[in-house]
Amino acid sequence: MGRPGALGPRTWLRRLLPQLLGVCLLSGAVLTAQEETASTPRPVDYVRDIQPILSDNCYACHGPDAQARKAKLRLDTQAAAKLDRGGWAAVIPGDPEESEIILRIFTEDEDDVMPPTKSHLTLSQAQKDLLQRWIAEGAPWAEHWSFVRPQMPSLPEVSDPSWPRNAIDRFVMARLDREGLGPSPTAPSETLLRRLSLDLTGLPPTPAERGEFLDEDSKAWSKSIERLLASPRYGERMAWPWLDAARYADSNGYQGDQDRSMWPWRDWVVNAFNENLPFDQFTVQQLAGDLLENPTQGQRLATGFLRNHMINGEGGRIPEENRVEYIFDQLETVSTTWLGLTMNCCRCHDHKFDPLTNENYFELFAFFNQTEVTGAGGSPHSAPVMAAPDVLQAAEILRLQGALAELELQGGERRQALLEEQAAWELQAMESLQSGQWRVLRPTALEADQEESALLETKRQELQAALSVASTDRSAQQAKCVADAHRAQDVFYGEIADQSASHRTQLEQLENAVPQVMVMEASLDHRKTFLLNRGLYNQPRAEVQAGVPGFLPALTKDSEPDRLDLAKWLVSPENPLTARVVVNRLWAQVFGIGLVKTTDNFGAQGERPSHPELLDWLALEFVNSGWDVKHMLRLMVNSATYRQASTRSEELQARDPQNRLLARGARYRLPSWMIRDAALQVSGLLVDRQGGEGVFPYQPAGVWQEFTFGTRTYVPDEGEGLHRRSLYTFWRRIVAPTTFFDAATRQACSVSELRTNTPLHALATLNDTTYVEAARALAQELLQGAGADENQRIESAFLRILARKPVAAETELLVGSLSRLRDQYARSPGEAQALLDVGAVPRDTTLDAIEHAAWTNLALALLNLDEAITKE
Amino acid sequence: MSFDKRPDPRVTRRHLLSRSAAGLASAAAYPLFGAHALGAQPFDPNPQGASAFARTQGENGSLFRSSGQPGMPHHKPRAKSLIYLFQNGAPTHVDLFDYKPELAARHGQPVPEEFIAGKRFSTMTGEASGKLLLGPLEPFHQHGESGAWVSELMPHTAKIVDELCFLKGMHTEAINHAPAISFFLSGAEMPGRPTLGAWLAHALGAENPNLPPFVVMTSVSKGTTCGQIFYDFYWESGYLPSRYQGVKLRGGGDPVLYLSNPAGVSRNVRRGVLDDIAALNELTHQRTGDPEVAARTAQYEMAYRMQDSVPELVDLSNEPQHVLDMYGPQVTERGSFAHNCLMARRLIERGTRYVQVMHAGWDQHSSLTTELYTQCKDTDQPSAALILDLKQRGLLDETLVVWGGEFGRTPFLQGDITNRKLWGRDHHPYAFTQWLAGGGVKPGITYGATDELGMNVVQDAVHVHDLQATILHLMGLDHEQLTVKYQGRRFRLTDVSGEVLRAVLA
Repeated sequence: MGRPGALGPRTWLRRLLPQLLGVCLLSGAVLTAQEETASTPRPVDYVRDIQPILSDNCYACHGPDAQARKAKLRLDTQAAAKLDRGGWAAVIPGDPEESEIILRIFTEDEDDVMPPTKSHLTLSQAQKDLLQRWIAEGAPWAEHWSFVRPQMPSLPEVSDPSWPRNAIDRFVMARLDREGLGPSPTAPSETLLRRLSLDLTGLPPTPAERGEFLDEDSKAWSKSIERLLASPRYGERMAWPWLDAARYADSNGYQGDQDRSMWPWRDWVVNAFNENLPFDQFTVQQLAGDLLENPTQGQRLATGFLRNHMINGEGGRIPEENRVEYIFDQLETVSTTWLGLTMNCCRCHDHKFDPLTNENYFELFAFFNQTEVTGAGGSPHSAPVMAAPDVLQAAEILRLQGALAELELQGGERRQALLEEQAAWELQAMESLQSGQWRVLRPTALEADQEESALLETKRQELQAALSVASTDRSAQQAKCVADAHRAQDVFYGEIADQSASHRTQLEQLENAVPQVMVMEASLDHRKTFLLNRGLYNQPRAEVQAGVPGFLPALTKDSEPDRLDLAKWLVSPENPLTARVVVNRLWAQVFGIGLVKTTDNFGAQGERPSHPELLDWLALEFVNSGWDVKHMLRLMVNSATYRQASTRSEELQARDPQNRLLARGARYRLPSWMIRDAALQVSGLLVDRQGGEGVFPYQPAGVWQEFTFGTRTYVPDEGEGLHRRSLYTFWRRIVAPTTFFDAATRQACSVSELRTNTPLHALATLNDTTYVEAARALAQELLQGAGADENQRIESAFLRILARKPVAAETELLVGSLSRLRDQYARSPGEAQALLDVGAVPRDTTLDAIEHAAWTNLALALLNLDEAITKE
Repeated sequence: MSFDKRPDPRVTRRHLLSRSAAGLASAAAYPLFGAHALGAQPFDPNPQGASAFARTQGENGSLFRSSGQPGMPHHKPRAKSLIYLFQNGAPTHVDLFDYKPELAARHGQPVPEEFIAGKRFSTMTGEASGKLLLGPLEPFHQHGESGAWVSELMPHTAKIVDELCFLKGMHTEAINHAPAISFFLSGAEMPGRPTLGAWLAHALGAENPNLPPFVVMTSVSKGTTCGQIFYDFYWESGYLPSRYQGVKLRGGGDPVLYLSNPAGVSRNVRRGVLDDIAALNELTHQRTGDPEVAARTAQYEMAYRMQDSVPELVDLSNEPQHVLDMYGPQVTERGSFAHNCLMARRLIERGTRYVQVMHAGWDQHSSLTTELYTQCKDTDQPSAALILDLKQRGLLDETLVVWGGEFGRTPFLQGDITNRKLWGRDHHPYAFTQWLAGGGVKPGITYGATDELGMNVVQDAVHVHDLQATILHLMGLDHEQLTVKYQGRRFRLTDVSGEVLRAVLA
């Protein structure tokens, strides 16, 4: 068999190639990774250097997708790439001149060149050189890095052994050594405390916390870490990214967008983080809590994770189509969150880059197919659903149930007592009836209308008839009639009955108020799973069995595995992905960017880790620590790497603008929810109550109406709902809270944080009532509490917002601003009053309005400083 | 740390901007509207001012900067800007533009099997077999030199048919509204991909740095009973940076969210506060060496300038009465389709790249004889006026206008034939009509045709991806080259198909 394609120019090419290659080799310096500028050339590394090129440029036609494969050639496996195809091979180790891929990428023949012109893909000279060098060096191959179990790396030697504080720093410094760089000095203490506090709780330190920290001894740092990890605010901070991944929202999405009550699940997440539930259990409970033996309420509630999918209530929707889409969403969410793999494309065809097949997709689908989840439109929930009372509700329900049981007991006792008095009572009753002196001891109504009188008369006659029969000869009905009449005449029994009825009503009302949470429940009957052609619910093809992709470790249970087996498999030590993926997200949360930048993709097209050994070390440490999340965060924030200053020289900025080499501390804008929480805290407005249903802080009027044709109106809360942490803000799916920007849409799973910079953000933080009111409240606190001295007040504002004192230049500038603002407002006192009327929090009217308005503007400026909305 | 250095606290904003980053100076000094926006200069596909601006900005230098392909189209564009008059809910093609005398003739007869064999309809119709055909509600007439047939429901559109290119062979894949609209605007039924406007903003950037390149407006006819909601994923940026998402110009309150200063904060007071922020930020910039700080200050400046440019935009006081009259009586009502059409013209005039005007209420399952009339009344005149207004200003040649919904409606009846009041038509993805005008499209033609009942396309079918490819082509972009890599895959608006409709290009 000959080579494919035109052969004409090849002889010419082969003659010329050595010269071409020589030139390339001489050109020397090769960029080994996108953001790496290696000063010393290293041997070509397949995983780091070659696979990304092949994946990005070749796999689409020569990769895992069998249907899209051209020329029957695949380059994603070693065997296929090096296969002798009858005198030629794509890759011939050690012989670039004879390797077909080299010929094809260097040719100038438009018909032969790879990648083909029409693909619009081109290889850079550096990439071509790398491929050539790689083959010349023997074309060593390796499995895709993230599909191989991490091995515990040895800690590298470093140039300055006094710098590292823990293992993390050894890896970081080793890399810096290689790059000819050194770490930055430790950041100032107050900067560190603010950084730590924001990272672990999402809130800046209070001036008091700062004071204690600066006064403390050498243990101040670790004490602060422990204090913050133990704070209930920690769980709230950790929950936000998890809610993004879990596409949590308070409404169903789509048309109608009915409100749902999944918030008990959200509270479960906060508590789980606060209690430091090991991540493996955190996983198992959320994916399969219902399948655990005798699951607790909490374990069942945890499965709400999977039920945060949108619900399509659009008229004309086919329930089965909905149901299939919910499962797509569930499995893709799990795949992104735990495995860092993008499965979506496999709904319709084999993955183009990763060894995931269309069949694999539906084998995973099968795990989620065995539930009672329906594709109903949801009103607002769709089955299965569980009641999830909060602590107060649960306590009240228990109390009422207890009281009812007690009343039941008393009722029984009283009935017994009445029974004993029965004979005597009957005699008395007969007498009364005959004498016409029958009286109602407990009148139910003061005035009985005619109908009721008639009824009473009938009853009286019935009773009289029954009493006239000997007690042993009465029919059952007659006996009941007598007994009822006796009890009705009894004051004590009546009270018991009344109380029972009222308790029962209360209980019923309470139970109706208890939030319903959608959860998972295994179906009784096994549902068959079929590969769905192009993902269409009504085009089933071959039947498939639940299973996991073959390139990953096998399930421990191979016959009829269920969701629980899948969950355990995800967190088994053999799984090469989960620990890396999760620990990488924790890293990104603290350092701003993951060791693998593509937090959502660990596949062939994802970025290679900047510090592969460090990532593996962290992943193994995570597993070995018993999946202890707090332990991992403690390690990270305790490192010298974390404690570096984020200031930088121009050279370093130019060399490594994204700080991938970690030669300095991270500095980036806070997420918008954290900016809001910080503003509430520094102004003293933050309400620190935890949990409960969604709240409605300020939002401009009309936004909901415009999106929903007027069917829904946003009514801001009055009182504490305005000032709860952002986490508790009601999240309407079709129109997310307007106060947040760069937020995930909460429609599908999202594990990467957006960080953009637009004028719309500036408008929000300058003009949103949230911030204006916070500025006003902060100004009031400054005017009331921080002494009469302007400088002291400015210092107090800095301490609250920036956790540092102002420098002289800053104070001087702001003193000037104040006098300018005072002048401006003195000229228009009406304006001052108008500004002070913004927001619901009452104002201290003893404060001078002009002074207060001037300080409000000053506070608003400070809340909007780059430093205020940035973690340094 | 350089806190001990004492920079001059009197540093002025302009001074500061001029020395922070090269691009920022130009941001501050750039005229409020690009010169071309005044209509004084002929259209230059690569205007120096705007592109030069775009190129000097860093990654975070400006919201409305161009990117990726830095302000450069792939080829010479035929249209500089785009207005999409999106008719949510799916207008009924057989009642408006696709004239079928045979449908009228067979009114009340069962739909012939061969027309519906193997087709899936919504659950409201379920099995289409046996449904009765419903003739067009109103008579059709031929208009203009092109002789296009238009229903009496659309008298104003009828007058401009010689400017229009009707696509009568449109067809799509989705059968429910939200997925179908998403398919038109993002190329995928599920939310999450970048929408057309985000692609254009990303690829072509802004002509005017003081206005967003991608603006969305929505409206609905009064008394409409349908419930199609305007989801924000109709203008999302997907995995393109969020600065490319559509900015919603609101129908009430602040035209842009949080645009107005709070009560009691005058423009003067705000100016001073922004100067303070800039000066303090500059100290941070010097201390940290972080270019993000300067970028932040620039965005605050841009916000301040938008507070001028947006109110000017929405202020109609300088529109001549005869222009207002063209758009009809609702033109001064914010949040009406007429108002939004006029605003679309004002936006593209000022350099906005793409205006997405969405009007809901076309979903007449049981209200053809009532709501369809309102719907036409509210949209017909403004749509036609927009074309005429653009034309008289010499803007039509460089502005592409698209009119259409997410699918068509069934030629057969939904409802009871004896109860005319509740006549309706169900969703019909197999054939429908859209029209294009201006920006490099052949005027006065009809492309594509359906069978004699308007049920299926029989000639020159146009798939949604073909339309998208054509729109991009006219805007100077190759739909196969306009890609963004996300989660390892290169995505494009047209997914994996789409052919430019060469036959409709002028």
